[in-house]
This record gives sequence, C-alpha cells and structure tokens, in this order.
Amino acid sequence: MSFSTTFYNTFAKRNSVYVTSIFTAAFAFGIGFDTAITTFWDRWNAGKQWKDIRHKYIQQDEE
Amino acid sequence: MASFQAVKKSINLAPTVRTLASGVPAAPALNLHVRASADDHGHGHGPSGPRLDTPPRWAGGFQRTTHSLSSKTLLNAPTTTTFQSRLLHTSAVAKDAPEVPDFGSYRTNSTDSNRTLSYALVGTMGVLSASVAKSSVTEFLQTMSASADVLALAKVEVELGNIPEGKNVIIKWRGKPVFIRHRTQSEIDEARSAEWRSFRDPESDEQRTKRPEWLVMLGVCTHLGCVPIGEAGDFGGWFCPCHGSHYDISGRARKGPAPLNLEIPQYEFNDAEGKLVVG
Repeated sequence: MSFSTTFYNTFAKRNSVYVTSIFTAAFAFGIGFDTAITTFWDRWNAGKQWKDIRHKYIQQDEE
Repeated sequence: MASFQAVKKSINLAPTVRTLASGVPAAPALNLHVRASADDHGHGHGPSGPRLDTPPRWAGGFQRTTHSLSSKTLLNAPTTTTFQSRLLHTSAVAKDAPEVPDFGSYRTNSTDSNRTLSYALVGTMGVLSASVAKSSVTEFLQTMSASADVLALAKVEVELGNIPEGKNVIIKWRGKPVFIRHRTQSEIDEARSAEWRSFRDPESDEQRTKRPEWLVMLGVCTHLGCVPIGEAGDFGGWFCPCHGSHYDISGRARKGPAPLNLEIPQYEFNDAEGKLVVG
C-alpha cells in the first residue's frame, strides 16, 4: 500500500469526500495564509506599529 | 552502387505513370494492345500463339481515356483450380504500421501514482480557487460595512453627574441630536400616569426608559425631521416649531402632525464611571 494508493483511497475515491476535503482544506488554507501573512507583516514592521510603541506613551492603564 | 541503382531505375521505369490531383493514375502513353511476339524467343518451344489464359476481348479488359485507366470485367472470373499453398515462406511479416517504434520503455509501470498525481493537482487547484472565491466575496462584502471613521463616531459617552435634575442636554450622535433629560419625580409621575393606550402611538413610559429619571431619545421630529424645542409645548415636553407637533415629557406624540413618538436610540448605563453610553 503505497502513499499514492492511500491518498487515492482516502480522499479521491468518492466525489463527496473529495469535494468536502477540498473545501475543508480551503478553509484551513485561508486561516493559515492569513496567520502567515500577519506574522510576516508584524515581523517586517517590528517597532513601528502602535501596539509596539504603546508602552512608551501610555504608562498606566487606569485613568 | 547507389548511383548505378538510380541510373537503372530511371531507365527501366516508364516515365509515363503519374498521379492526377484526383488520385487517379494517369498513363497517357501506355500501350495496352501489345501482344506477345509470334516467334520463338530463343528457347525452343516453337511459335507461341496467344496465351491460353488471356481473357478474350468480349470478357472485358483495360480501357484508357484521357483522364483515367479503367479495368472492366464483364464475366465472373473462373475459380482458380490449381492452388499451391505456400506453407513456408521467408518474406517479412506484413504489419499495419511497420514503422512504429516500440514505446514500451516509455510506458509507466504503475498507473496508481499517475492517477494520484492528477487528483492531487486538481484538488490543489480546487483549494486555491475556493480560497480566492471566498476571499473575493469577503472583501466585497466588507466594502458594504461601516468604515473606521463611522465606527469611531458610533458611540458617545455622556457624564451623567454633570446633568442636574430637571435639565435637558443635547448631544450629537451620528450626526443627529440626542436629547437627554434628567427628569424630576413629578415629571416621572406625570409621564407614568398618562393614559397612554389612547395615544396616537401607544407606548408606556416603562417601555421608553430604562431608568425613570433618565429619558434618552433622538431629537428628530418624526413628522419631517426638524429638531423640537425642549421644555415647550402644551404637554410640558417638546414642541416642534416647523409644523406644531407637541410631545409630552416622555417624548410621545400628543398633538400635531407627528405620527410616531420620538425615537429611542440604543443606550446603556455605565455605573462604574457614572456614564451614559449612546450607541
């Protein structure tokens, strides 16, 4: 039972399973893509965003 | 040798045969009436007559026109009686397409992996397409939602401790005036004791206020949208100067053309900070 046969039997044999897994994978891919892009953005702009420099201007929360 | 072969071919092959564009062979100089020579041609069987197996002229034969060469047979040919079957032969095996090479070395020996690869590619394409479609729809719908500057104005906070009893405060909320009245106990009693079931827009004071001493409502006349004047009118509440609508101390339409009571916005009390949050 090679990997390709396992893949075919698990996902592609029934069209219902195939389409369902495609939509599930699209959902997961969207979340993962968003997370990756956001992480990259935060790292690229580290020290420039308000959430990074907020503590310099607002010392105590209660007022 | 090659040159010799070419020479030999060009001498022996009749230059009269060619193919017309229609596919018909054209042989304009072909002589179909030649007969075998009448003498013995050097191997001693005497003069030979016409061949016995040559069909007579009435049985058919060749015909040559300017454009075609046709063979016509008017009789059924006699069955071949003497037939020598060749049980052993050395000629090459005739194939349909003898020039086709053997592709066996290019053929895969497992179609499973190829099938899986195709399904995986189609599935990946589907995943990407679904993501793009979902992203497009989401982005398009987000253009319909409120922008950040509108959301920033969506809530207004009012310090309740600054409003003395029996006074009106008008604040601006989402571009519209909002009346906040700190009602006195007598005003509350007046608003609650009114026979509200007979009003034009029947609504009790309990339905219109969360706390009886605080009345919060939109300062837009329900008739044509003027801003009513506070502490005026026949019922001690508000009076719209445009067309003379009278509202009572609970903001209910009592007189004049206004069809509905003054609208109540969404609001809530923040007791910890003593604030009223509208929106």
